[in-house]
Amino acid sequence: MPILDQLPGAIRSALPAEPLFSARTDLLNDGLFGEQWLTVTETEITVWNVSGSPLTTIAVEELKDARAVSGIGGGTLLADTASGPVVVVRYTAALTSIFGFAAKLLSSIAKGEERPTLSEKELPQQCPKCRNPLQEGTQTCPVCKNNGKVILRMLGYAKPYKLQMAAAAIMLIITTLVELIPPYLTKVILDDVLQPKNTGSKLMWIVIGLAATSVTMAVMQTLRGLIGVWVGSKLMGDLRRDIYDALMRLSLAFFDRRQTSQFIGRVNSDSEAMRQFMTDGIIWVTGESLKMIAIFAIMFNLSWKLTLLALLPMPLMVVFSLTLWPMIGRRWYQQWRSIFRLNVLVGDSLQGIRVVKAFGQESTEISRYQAANQDVVRNNIRIEGLWQGMFPLFSLVAGAGTLLIWYYGGWSVLKGEISIGLLIALITYLGMLLGPLQWVSQMINWASHAISAADRVFEIMDTPSEVPDTRDPAVIGRVKGAVQFSNVTYGYEKHHPVLKNIDLNVAEGEMIGLVGHSGAGKSTFINMICRFYDTDTGHITIDGVDLRNISQTDLRKQIGVVLQETFLFDGTIAENIAYSKPDATPEEIMRAAKIANAHDFIVRLPDGYDTRVGERGHRLSGGEKQRVSIARAIIHDPRILILDEATASVDTETERQIQEAISRLVKGRTTFAIAHRLSTLRNANRLVVLERGKIVEVGTHEDLLEKEGIYFKLVEAQKEMSQIKGVESA
Amino acid sequence: MKDPYEIYILEPERISFSRGPGGVFQGVVDGKEYEEIIVHRAFPFLYTTQFISVRDAKEEEIGVIRDIAQLDEESRTEMERELQFRYFLPRVTRVDSVKHRTDLWIWELQTNLGPTRLVMRNLHEHMQFPGGSRIVLTDMNGKRCEIGDWKALDSHSRKQLRDVV
Repeated sequence: MPILDQLPGAIRSALPAEPLFSARTDLLNDGLFGEQWLTVTETEITVWNVSGSPLTTIAVEELKDARAVSGIGGGTLLADTASGPVVVVRYTAALTSIFGFAAKLLSSIAKGEERPTLSEKELPQQCPKCRNPLQEGTQTCPVCKNNGKVILRMLGYAKPYKLQMAAAAIMLIITTLVELIPPYLTKVILDDVLQPKNTGSKLMWIVIGLAATSVTMAVMQTLRGLIGVWVGSKLMGDLRRDIYDALMRLSLAFFDRRQTSQFIGRVNSDSEAMRQFMTDGIIWVTGESLKMIAIFAIMFNLSWKLTLLALLPMPLMVVFSLTLWPMIGRRWYQQWRSIFRLNVLVGDSLQGIRVVKAFGQESTEISRYQAANQDVVRNNIRIEGLWQGMFPLFSLVAGAGTLLIWYYGGWSVLKGEISIGLLIALITYLGMLLGPLQWVSQMINWASHAISAADRVFEIMDTPSEVPDTRDPAVIGRVKGAVQFSNVTYGYEKHHPVLKNIDLNVAEGEMIGLVGHSGAGKSTFINMICRFYDTDTGHITIDGVDLRNISQTDLRKQIGVVLQETFLFDGTIAENIAYSKPDATPEEIMRAAKIANAHDFIVRLPDGYDTRVGERGHRLSGGEKQRVSIARAIIHDPRILILDEATASVDTETERQIQEAISRLVKGRTTFAIAHRLSTLRNANRLVVLERGKIVEVGTHEDLLEKEGIYFKLVEAQKEMSQIKGVESA
Repeated sequence: MKDPYEIYILEPERISFSRGPGGVFQGVVDGKEYEEIIVHRAFPFLYTTQFISVRDAKEEEIGVIRDIAQLDEESRTEMERELQFRYFLPRVTRVDSVKHRTDLWIWELQTNLGPTRLVMRNLHEHMQFPGGSRIVLTDMNGKRCEIGDWKALDSHSRKQLRDVV
């Protein structure tokens, strides 16, 4: 038996033998935070306090069953004993999985069943070093992870463009060096030409020199700018592509838990922030720091005493930057979040615009928007305000250095220690230093903005797919379509299984009707066949090959779905029908539509098969969309077909047409169909009745009617309903 | 006969709750004894002590209590405790620190149930604002804490919160 945390010595020594199981709780029995220990041995279950004295003991022979009762944000392990239920321990949600296992273990001990083994999924995911929780499916702890990695990883995107970047860098170096020439020339003019009143050709040459530097700088800057734009756009493209790839790769479970409209903003604005940092940011930083070094070198050469004076305010600026850095990062994130909330709000109300209009709630939506909008305004002022305040402050501090040089440098000139030209050159150089120093704060801004964007982007990229593809997929070719469920259990949240111990053998070409109340697990059942989710225990095979060993592309090629909510993409009807087979010929498309009973209505449309559907295009009725999606499934020509309530919410005539289409579609394919109208499942070879995640009845329509079980009741209830409807319509 | 489509409001004088010897919440409703009772808040954010759905061990609803203030003293105390167990939502009394370490936001908090620490992957998915100045924090494992009114916290806490709210 696995032991999670090291059991304290005091408790271990109080036990007669090594316990079967032990775990630490994070709550006391009165609900306060604190630690307790649970140990399970062959004879008793004991709860200990931290110092090792037992608090409760339950003898195993008294135990009848055990349950983990989950509350909100925490749970309780309950033992059913001969004298009623007993609270064993309480814990927070962090430990749900491990005490869920404890309940299973205790229950199996009580009933004398085979004992479960602890799977990795049930261990709390914690970093061994810092005890912070780990993301599911990863072993690297984000806290212990190296901080610079985000930046390094971001820079990885610049790698393919290193040649261009190098060219830009070289130009940058040249510009920087050239930029440093004019002040020196000024010094020469002052000291060698103007003061000695030298009327030779020297002045001419120096001015030509100045002009040459200006021209070189202009050319270099233009070239560098062009390269920057080119590299930047490419980088953005790469980033966007990767984010979108990552989104598409993620499993359905990821999207179940999130609002999808948020990703639109992420793909665009986050990649822009990263791009800005990498092109403008990096180039500026290298350029400006280079400049700084060069300026210092020259200044030291000219007069090291005065240079040291000018450096006095520097430490102050460094301290400033260090304290402001984290604050700016947070405020950027805050600003991002308020925009994010605003976007979600807009996305929500626009998607539901019909409901908004139907209930006349425009003004409520406007005021909701207004509140979120004010939030954005407030945060915007906070971050931009901070920013605006920082800039002058930096200049002021840096300017203090110039004042010092003017004063002491002035004295030195008066005393004849240095020349006027030297003083002017020093001051000009110092002025040039101000630029880079201000960029330090701009850089802080960019970098923190970019890092927080990169954090979010890499979060998406790093989220492991919950249904990973196997490294070495089995070659399945065209399958026959025999599907087998062996002891399958699955829950969207691990401790609330929606499907429990499902065993089912489906022969190739068989049609299975799934029947049950809503929430019985029908949709989950078909989701499992598509492998939108992986089983928690047990496995599903197609032609004897485990689903996990089939690559998902291969699998989906074999499976066709017609779902309750038909979704048509923005594009023509023809494109939608040919979605899974873009190279389908027009004839194939028409043939598929014909089988789906869609050909006639499509041809009657003014634009025929070229009618645009989807968000902005021609609006098809529910039944029409349904038939287009059937045609889509037909052209896909799958071996396994999944129909999820394909005839919900359409009138009787349309239903008949869809039914017809479906009966042609299912021919020769293994089919799983869900329907609320039981009459539509009459052609099914077998009906599987699900109740609370378990298969309760299997058989043909007639078998099950004879049995007078749950199916019989469902049919009776529907008959009653249709009679009521009949009366109403009469 | 109860109308199955009507909310059945429990009369305060016909119900009583207590805690069994094993620490399990139990009670008597309309003269019937229940060895184990499960309670749900119908509006966990808005009305924490009102509209409590009382259910048996199989989670079938027995009825709804309009306000637990109407109950007798023992019943009320036990009900409050049970709600606190089931809705594990410690109230934050002080925010010691909110730190951002690479990918994680780490909150060190003092609550009415003792000190604790929440770890979040980001803020935008783990902070909820149910209205007013209330904040509900949920950490990566589903552990939750509530800040009743962040503007009413001490100045140190407010300072910690200012840039994350």
